Amino acid sequence: MPLVPIVILLPIVAAALCFALPRNDRVVSRTAGTAVALATIAALVAAGDSQWSVRWLSRPFTAAFHFGATPTSLWIALLLALCTACAVATTRVARTRDFVAQMLLLEGTMLGLFLARDLLVFALFWDLMLLPVFFGLMGWGEHPATAWRYFIYNFAGGLTLLLATAAFGIIEGSTDVIGRSGVHLAGAWAPWIYAGFAFAFLVKTPIWPLHTWMPPTYASLPAPMVSVVSAVQSKAGLYGFLAIALALLPDYVREYANPLIVLGAISLIYGAVVALVQTDAKRLVAYSSLSHLGLIVIAVASGNRLALAGALVYIVAHGLFSAALFLVLGYVEEREETRSLLRLGGLGWQNPRLAGALCIAALAALGLPGLAGFVGELLILIGVYQAGYVWPVIVALVAIVLASAYMIRLYQDIMNGPQRSDVTVRADLNWLEALAVTPLLAALVVIGVDPAPLLRL
Amino acid sequence: MTPPFGHADWNAILPVSIVAVAALLVLVADLFSGAREQRYLPIAIALAGTIVAAAFAARQFGHHYDAFFGGFMVGGFASVFQEIVLVATAGSIVLYGAIGAASRVAGMIAIMLWSACGAMLMSGAANLMMIFLGLELLSLGLYALCGAVDRKTARESALKYLILSSTATGFLLFGSALIFGASGSVRLADLTNPALAASTLFSLGAGMFLIGLVFKLSLVPFHTWTPDVFQGAPLPVTAFMSVATKAGALAVFARFIYAALPPGSAERLLFPVWVVAGISMIVGNVGMLAQHDLKRLLGFSGVAQVGYILVALAGTTALGLRYAIYYLTAYAFMNLGAFAVAAAISGEDEEGARLENYRGLGRRRPVLAAAMTIFLLALAGLPPTAGFLGKILILSSSVASGYIWLGALLIVGTAISLYAYAKVIRLMYERAGEDVPGLRPFVPLAWVSAGVCAALVIAMAFYPLTPSNVLPLVR
Repeated sequence: MPLVPIVILLPIVAAALCFALPRNDRVVSRTAGTAVALATIAALVAAGDSQWSVRWLSRPFTAAFHFGATPTSLWIALLLALCTACAVATTRVARTRDFVAQMLLLEGTMLGLFLARDLLVFALFWDLMLLPVFFGLMGWGEHPATAWRYFIYNFAGGLTLLLATAAFGIIEGSTDVIGRSGVHLAGAWAPWIYAGFAFAFLVKTPIWPLHTWMPPTYASLPAPMVSVVSAVQSKAGLYGFLAIALALLPDYVREYANPLIVLGAISLIYGAVVALVQTDAKRLVAYSSLSHLGLIVIAVASGNRLALAGALVYIVAHGLFSAALFLVLGYVEEREETRSLLRLGGLGWQNPRLAGALCIAALAALGLPGLAGFVGELLILIGVYQAGYVWPVIVALVAIVLASAYMIRLYQDIMNGPQRSDVTVRADLNWLEALAVTPLLAALVVIGVDPAPLLRL
Repeated sequence: MTPPFGHADWNAILPVSIVAVAALLVLVADLFSGAREQRYLPIAIALAGTIVAAAFAARQFGHHYDAFFGGFMVGGFASVFQEIVLVATAGSIVLYGAIGAASRVAGMIAIMLWSACGAMLMSGAANLMMIFLGLELLSLGLYALCGAVDRKTARESALKYLILSSTATGFLLFGSALIFGASGSVRLADLTNPALAASTLFSLGAGMFLIGLVFKLSLVPFHTWTPDVFQGAPLPVTAFMSVATKAGALAVFARFIYAALPPGSAERLLFPVWVVAGISMIVGNVGMLAQHDLKRLLGFSGVAQVGYILVALAGTTALGLRYAIYYLTAYAFMNLGAFAVAAAISGEDEEGARLENYRGLGRRRPVLAAAMTIFLLALAGLPPTAGFLGKILILSSSVASGYIWLGALLIVGTAISLYAYAKVIRLMYERAGEDVPGLRPFVPLAWVSAGVCAALVIAMAFYPLTPSNVLPLVR
């Protein structure tokens, strides 16, 4: 059997098999989960750009279960598998076995999404990947209302995606078009199809004013899951813009670039300002994500080659540092039983590894040269400027300054300052936790120093 | 003197006759059966009858011909709908393995089989009299079945169904009479006469005929009986009504709009029906939100689901008909599966339809809860189920036939429905309270039925078989 479908089926089947593991053995479940995630990395690398296809529909349009990585999606898929492995390795939530199963299901459905070469399969996995997060919010979240908000927002997006896909299929005759060159849709329907896609992508990213599901979702999900969701699931919309909207409907992305850029700029500045005043560490990072992803939306809308190259680098970089940030914040929360910046303080004195990990991740988030975030930001800013959009660049520069402010504040309030007498300082990162964040931080450094492999598009 | 009907005519209704004879056998067998096999012997005979009938109906699929002087169209379309009706009948009859007093099971199964004969006749009916015959045969049995348990709600259900359904039948019959008056023929094939397009009498008749059908399909504004009747009727009867009745009425509706309207008049006559379908998708799904009873919930759900099917039929394209059949088949398995789960967890009397009973099912009966989750996801149109693919096909059809506003309403309705379905899923995976009622032990037939339906709901998403030669519908 070819490797590509195995990549997708492996985590999904493993998720089902998880329930055969002993219910209460945490170590066994997470070891198995990590092993599966690492195996998907190996399978992904081995599969490379090979493709696999099976006919699904022949009427009213042709559709196929067609999978295969494009250069863009391969990087995101690798990021996904890596984040999953790192997140599962140190999972310590209640009912670990069930949680690991959800994590693997999340990985498998998202791999299906990113490797799909057929729009209809893309839409199928788009809806599927909502389920594990929904169950995660229901089973381990803080309030069920959050789960509903997450689901209803994203499912509404999924439905417009579905309608747009159906319309696309009818007009084009086939939905087997992702990564295929020379398919350009035009005509009276095309703007509406683009609108359907764009709505789904913007909800998922998210972008202001469709972002309201995101901060509570990120704050409420357990750290391992939120690190994968913020690192990779939030990229599904951006990937959609790159692989679907820009490839199949380029004229309309260009024609309606201005509204996108305005929304991106608002998200950029709004996310940064709100992040400044957050006292909940996870919410702070959530709003910073809103801000960072706004920058990528601007890059996509500008359509400039350099900006698009930067967008991919920044997609990967943001995935790495937001996964690392959420994981580290998860470790902090497990130890101190709070994530309020008002209550935490002074942890760094006795926990050098914890402080170091948070420091590198925060520095990458604020765009320090030498780390991956900087490369992406720089390329995007140059590209957007080249494309003739000056004011978004100025807005972005302001937001980047603000990013330094809130990220340094995050670090200061948790690690520096006097130790709080009412917070008992517990142990530093153990070897396993250190091992789990190291690949993410190392990748940030490697890409920051040598982004060339990512840029060879 | 030659007999009025020949060999071919009797062959045409062979599947129907087999089901009718099976019903007789059920009654006879009940006379001689002891207390031990009182429940399972009738079920076995009925299942065997439906399977044999299904085999004969399948054999007729490729042979298109008309019997009884154009009153009954064999093959293709009729065979497909007969299969759906037979599946629904079998899926409902197995629920008697779990529900109802054993001493009454045989009688109820016999009546249900005769009702199924009515729906099967409707599947092939190609003249107005045959349609009426099938409809009455179907409905008369259901009046009895609805009230066949000693429960106040069941009697209310039966009476409500009798009165409202008779009213609808009245509309249908009066409409048929007017159509006959305008056209001088009861054959649907003769209604395509272009001269009829201008006839006010015909328009009036067709309108009343359609109103009768809309009632049987329980579309807004004639949907209000559905939740009440569904709630009161015994669980197998509800399952039967939710699929077989709708299949029969849809067969007549599809044949009427595809093949029995004078050219040029379809747009004008059918537009109100599409509006009604659009409103039904919203009203049905909104109605689900406040329900605390699974049968009521599925009643409202059915209102919306029929709306979805009509979206496929809008524009009366050949592909649309195939997608409608695909979705109806998928819907049959989703609904029958959901009722099978309901039967598997319910006591013989109270029927476990209250949603409260599902709390914590995920821990206490993980297999049933997983199956129920699949059915609810399918009803909501989420992947990886046939409901998802069905929605895609219907949306494509709405785009292709120019009824994209119906597609948009379908999207809105689906978004609303998600909340109602997911509420049940959430309830199943919530922790149960202290005072949970005891669950009944393993009920083999209902469990198997739920499992088969779940497997089919998933498999249909990946192997989208839609019957190709369902046209022509009249000759």
